[in-house]
Amino acid sequence: MSTLLFIIFAGMAIGCAIAMVSQSNPLYCAISLIGVFISLASIYVTLAAPFIAAVQVIVYAGAIMVLVIFVIMLLNVEHSEPRRKRLKFLVPMAVGMAAVLLAETAFILYSVQTSANHFTGNSSNVGLTHSIGEGLFTRYLLPFELTSVLLLMAIVGAMSLARRTTILSATARVIPGAQVLAMHEVNPRAIGDLRPVEAATSEEAAHLLGVEFQSNRGGQE
Amino acid sequence: MGPQLSWYLALSAILFTIGAVGVIVKRNVIAMFMCIELMLNAVNLSFVAFSSYFQDVTGQLFVFIVMTVAAAEAAVGLGIIITIFRNRESLDVDDANILKL
Repeated sequence: MSTLLFIIFAGMAIGCAIAMVSQSNPLYCAISLIGVFISLASIYVTLAAPFIAAVQVIVYAGAIMVLVIFVIMLLNVEHSEPRRKRLKFLVPMAVGMAAVLLAETAFILYSVQTSANHFTGNSSNVGLTHSIGEGLFTRYLLPFELTSVLLLMAIVGAMSLARRTTILSATARVIPGAQVLAMHEVNPRAIGDLRPVEAATSEEAAHLLGVEFQSNRGGQE
Repeated sequence: MGPQLSWYLALSAILFTIGAVGVIVKRNVIAMFMCIELMLNAVNLSFVAFSSYFQDVTGQLFVFIVMTVAAAEAAVGLGIIITIFRNRESLDVDDANILKL
């Protein structure tokens, strides 16, 4: 029975993973990946790890994939047209690397196979929430606290990365002299025009950009 | 007789290999990101398999921590993806080549 369940869910996981890699649309990719997560959660249930299975569904399929799908929808990427081939050696390299990894796996499995180790059953309470919480707050308290620090850093990093740059004043955007503006200083969406602006002076550049130029040097001179 | 430990390890290795191939082959940065998630999940599977077979809870604790790292990675990675898209108007990794010689 458990062998049958393992074969069903392993087949589902591998099939969904292959479908994910072969899809070109990122949305279908994401849905196939959710299939992998669900089948892995089922395997965790058969391994007597119900807490991890629940967390897998809630955190991975629930939170992370929703975030990914949200970003796919937000960026609204149209189906990518076939473009020029890049770096032709990448696909053979991927196949070769996969072959090496699988050969390595087969070798290790051959050694593991000799020391047969059977699943002893659900006699203990290893996978339950109680034992996981006990381990997390006693013996492994330091990794737990480090994880919370990591989450805090992730919050700060995500906010500072995804924050839209504030619309600066005209004098801040138009630099006298070379008129080379960094990409992150020019907000393409705000200007609505992606063409570069060439100008000799700040007034001219501001006129071309369609913003009001205020000289902040006038007071000093 | 249930499935042996090596079956779970084989499944984990196959999933990891598929994820690694995807990272190399894919060009869309979001698809590459999802392949990395698949590799993390493959490692989680071997953690849980060892934990169940040796009746030790440590493996499952570290699965919990790996999941937290994956969530943090999702937040920061998607923030980076949004920033790249704003600057380049493209999700193709070949377009983010301004540091290339």
